[in-house]
Amino acid sequence: MTDLRPVTALGGETPARLQAGGHTLREIGDMGLASLALRQGAAEPAPFGLALPGPGQWQAGAEVAAFWTGPGQWMIERPGRADSDIAAELAPLCPGCSVTEQTDAFACFEIAAADGAAMDRLLARLVNLDPARLRPGSAQRTGFEHLPVFVIRRAGDRVAMLGMRSAAGSLWHALARIVTREAAR
Amino acid sequence: MRLPGGLIDRSRTLRFSFDGRAFTGHPGDTLASALLANDVRLMGRSFKYHRPRGVLAAGPEEPNALVTLGTGARAEPNTRATVVELCDGLAAASQNHVGSLGRDLMAVNDLLSPLFAAGFYYKTFMWPRAFWERLYEPLIRRAAGLGRLSMQPDPDAYDKGFLHCDLLVIGGGAAGLAAALTAARTGARVILADEDMRLGGRLLAESHTLDDLPATDWIDRVERELASLPNLTVLRRTTVWGAFDHGIFGAVERVADHLPDPGGRVRQTLWRITARRAVLAAGAIERHIPFRNNDRPGIMLAGALRAYANRWAACPAGPVAVFTGTDDGHRTALDLMARGVEVAAVIDPRDGARAQGPYRLIPGAVVTDTQGRLGLTRIAVTTAKRTEWIAAATLGVTGGWNPNLNLAAQHRARPVWDAATGCFLPPDGAVPGLTVAGAAAGQGSTHAALRSGAAAAAGALASLGIAAPLPDLPRAEDAPAAASPIWHVPGRGRAWVDFQNDVTVKDIRLAHQENMRSVEHLKRWTTLGMATDQGKTSNVTALAVMAELTGRGIAETGTTMWRPPYTPVPISVLGGGDTGPDFRPRRLTPTHHWAAAQGAVFVEVGAWMRAQYFPRPGETHWRQTVDREVLATRAGVGLCDVTTLGKIDVQGADAGAFLDRLYANPMASLKVGMVRYGLMLREDGHLWDDGTCARLAGDHYVVTTTTAQAGPIYRHMEFARQCLWPELDVQIISTTDAWAQISVAGPQARRLLERVVDGFDLSNAAFPFMACATLTVCGGLRARLFRISFSGELAYELAVPARYGAALMDRLLQAGADLGATPYGTEALGVLRIEKGHAAGNELNGQTTAQMLGMGRMVSARKDAVGAVMSRREGLLAEDRVLVGLQPVDPADPVVAGSHLFTPGRAQDTATDEGWITSACHSPHLGSAIGLGFLACGRDRLGEVVTAANPLEGQQVALRVVPLPFIDPEGGRLRD
Repeated sequence: MTDLRPVTALGGETPARLQAGGHTLREIGDMGLASLALRQGAAEPAPFGLALPGPGQWQAGAEVAAFWTGPGQWMIERPGRADSDIAAELAPLCPGCSVTEQTDAFACFEIAAADGAAMDRLLARLVNLDPARLRPGSAQRTGFEHLPVFVIRRAGDRVAMLGMRSAAGSLWHALARIVTREAAR
Repeated sequence: MRLPGGLIDRSRTLRFSFDGRAFTGHPGDTLASALLANDVRLMGRSFKYHRPRGVLAAGPEEPNALVTLGTGARAEPNTRATVVELCDGLAAASQNHVGSLGRDLMAVNDLLSPLFAAGFYYKTFMWPRAFWERLYEPLIRRAAGLGRLSMQPDPDAYDKGFLHCDLLVIGGGAAGLAAALTAARTGARVILADEDMRLGGRLLAESHTLDDLPATDWIDRVERELASLPNLTVLRRTTVWGAFDHGIFGAVERVADHLPDPGGRVRQTLWRITARRAVLAAGAIERHIPFRNNDRPGIMLAGALRAYANRWAACPAGPVAVFTGTDDGHRTALDLMARGVEVAAVIDPRDGARAQGPYRLIPGAVVTDTQGRLGLTRIAVTTAKRTEWIAAATLGVTGGWNPNLNLAAQHRARPVWDAATGCFLPPDGAVPGLTVAGAAAGQGSTHAALRSGAAAAAGALASLGIAAPLPDLPRAEDAPAAASPIWHVPGRGRAWVDFQNDVTVKDIRLAHQENMRSVEHLKRWTTLGMATDQGKTSNVTALAVMAELTGRGIAETGTTMWRPPYTPVPISVLGGGDTGPDFRPRRLTPTHHWAAAQGAVFVEVGAWMRAQYFPRPGETHWRQTVDREVLATRAGVGLCDVTTLGKIDVQGADAGAFLDRLYANPMASLKVGMVRYGLMLREDGHLWDDGTCARLAGDHYVVTTTTAQAGPIYRHMEFARQCLWPELDVQIISTTDAWAQISVAGPQARRLLERVVDGFDLSNAAFPFMACATLTVCGGLRARLFRISFSGELAYELAVPARYGAALMDRLLQAGADLGATPYGTEALGVLRIEKGHAAGNELNGQTTAQMLGMGRMVSARKDAVGAVMSRREGLLAEDRVLVGLQPVDPADPVVAGSHLFTPGRAQDTATDEGWITSACHSPHLGSAIGLGFLACGRDRLGEVVTAANPLEGQQVALRVVPLPFIDPEGGRLRD
């Protein structure tokens, strides 16, 4: 175990958190991520027993989840396993696939609202995705404040946003401002 | 004066000021209606001639009554008084005058008007040429204009949002309400956007009844039902200002503009609305009729006069006359009389016109002149027989209505002239998915508007497979639309067409004389239809006058192009509200906060913020700091965060073949565990990017790009993978942000790294120059090590997961304290690479080739690659400029990048230009400035002296051409 101390995407020792009215914005500091892409002729794997989701979808299993990122491509989420060599763990479970560590490629934020309707209203201020079609279990790539992001609706009242780790500060700034304003409305 | 009735709340009084004078009004008033109620007719000065002007209209089309709202940083110029909702404490000021509004010194322009005809400055201010920029233009800009900006940062907050719906209804008048009701009852998702403070549109301005009840009763009932439907969103105070592709509309909601204290609210919200279908029910804009001196305060659109009386219980002053080419104007007379206003006369050019009430009608007559310096006092009425002066303080004018179809015409479709109703109608299918209804479609009677709105909504939903029954609609007036017989009153003197830009019938005639035959040329020559009102009250009249002059007819003359935004939109709200450091997103390196704590100075590199240098106490100039960092690196070991360089993970059975086609030089032959420098060319054979390519396994490479090209190269590789060679088995993904990468450079680099690696053999034999490996450091942290050198020293780049970047940097600095470990920034990085003669962005500027860098032979002839064939073009092969080193003959002289190179003594022009300096710095190693440059036949001119010309600063510097690199030419340092 290394004695180097990691920092979160926002540069803190602990993940940032903001409470505004019924909304909670959290930095997720320990999400392990790896990309998974099928090579030619490879069979679709079921890593950790997870059935990989179809286009625009997110699928959660036991301590693992995945979202579709392109034809034959997924991002595998391992909550709480940011410090492990997730690519090395995943590759043997996915024969004939290309696996790349992506844990620190992204900053991950989660927003919780009081209920689904409140989240729908918040989404209208966040991204150009129709909340009525971004139902729980949806995952989309879109733009947010000039930055490319993934938006995952983990539940009616809960949304995750993954964006470039290097832009974590700008993402947080925008998210915090929008969440705070929405809470004040 | 204030009339009885109206839709204002008289139980409350609001205080406001105009030009410092205190007034009162009521909730429901606009600034314009409150001023009229307070007998204020003079509200501004015209653009060019500084003529006294009053309010013309009652809505967003207002060209005259432009005021500055607020003070200090919040001062907002060019605000239309007709759309400003009155609130307590509102402070407004008139614009465009020197001295008081009543005694504007610039009114002298009006006397000099013959000088200021259309296009005058194109002809008048031609000589002497130098006077234009320094004298004429500033003078003209001072004399002409509207409001002035505060020149202070906008203190308000703005935001944006995204809405999606099945049907967007634009406009909340009779047609819009009927459309929204029809659609919302089906359960479809509907958005109703209306720019007024109150729904109802023109229904609020008329005295018509619906089912024999006041229109407001029906509106209230509809509003109650709409409020009960969760699938309907009503956006009040929201202007839809642009129709874009794929059913996207731009809208601005004025969230807090109408509140005395916005509290914590944003001022405005920019909505991007994606609608599967849309109904445009934006109503119509009334036309005036140009006649001599038709611009005095008190002369208004007849429909506006009616609106002020019926909705706002306000009238400028009595007695009132009406000049009307249609039956519409007679209604104005009747409505005013019903509220006790004295009507002096109704002037109707139609010989057969009949009075519709007990007022004096003058048929077969026109208004030919007016009097009243700061406000109307008399009008001249001329019939075939005689001219009569009639006392009038207010004159309502109407020449019919123009459908407000701009949103339907923003996709280049031209409106269609309808001779029967005398107006332009929206073309069918001009904007996919958009249907036009109500007065905007020429269906101007209340009966027609209600029914066409409902039908438009039902039709739009039917195309989505949703059946929408038509609602029961109230009985309403159904007066037929008729064309006005006249467009303007011919005669001597000036008759204004465009009030905002001071364009008269004479100016249009002049433009025609000057051969400006197209309406687009007419617009640009006269400035007609420009500025904040975009010709809402003038365009159609102007082209009708133009048509008369050319004899071509209105349909053939056509309209000018409509473009968004049709109504003024603050830049602040388009900007989305973020300013200063948050104006655009920033990317921070993994060591950013660490570097900030070290006191680093940062520099923007694209979106990235990079440490530029690390000043230490006592250093008073950045050069001191940079020199120290460079010397410390060459003497001991330097540390630099190089995370910003693009990293692309390339995997797959065909990864090598894929990279062979992308890089000019071979990569498939690269041994596992080794790194190779590579060049990528554009399709045209010019250099695009350079970087290293590391082979971690047979089917696994890591490509690095320059910081600037990380995005474009990744996009290019994705395009190549998906579209050019889908048969190759390749998977790519960016890992730029995933790994913190730190350059460890200098003669002590190996000793320092030995202190952090976990039992990894760093000896030259085990890990030679250009080797790479995966390993662990600092007790088990996964890492990647590359032995590559940008500085020319023994150097490595060590990568760890980004979350550990700052900790690793700190550890290296501590562990290397005795070795002289020193952090360095981009400035020292630049010096080190220039001393080593390495190319960077300055050399790879899109105009250079591998041959120019002396790397022509890297473009492999044994395989094909993107750009390889084109790089062998005759023209590119003939290029003789190559990269050389440059050093001043006098070591005290500067070397300035961008200077051009010439043979001493020769003329300095394009023909004799021999190249240019790409990069320059002070080399602490050599004790002078040095530079890199492309020089014609440079390789054959080593030792020669050339002149570097920097005409911007008047510099001529003698430089000696020297071989590259400046340091360690044998390259022993990086290989030892």
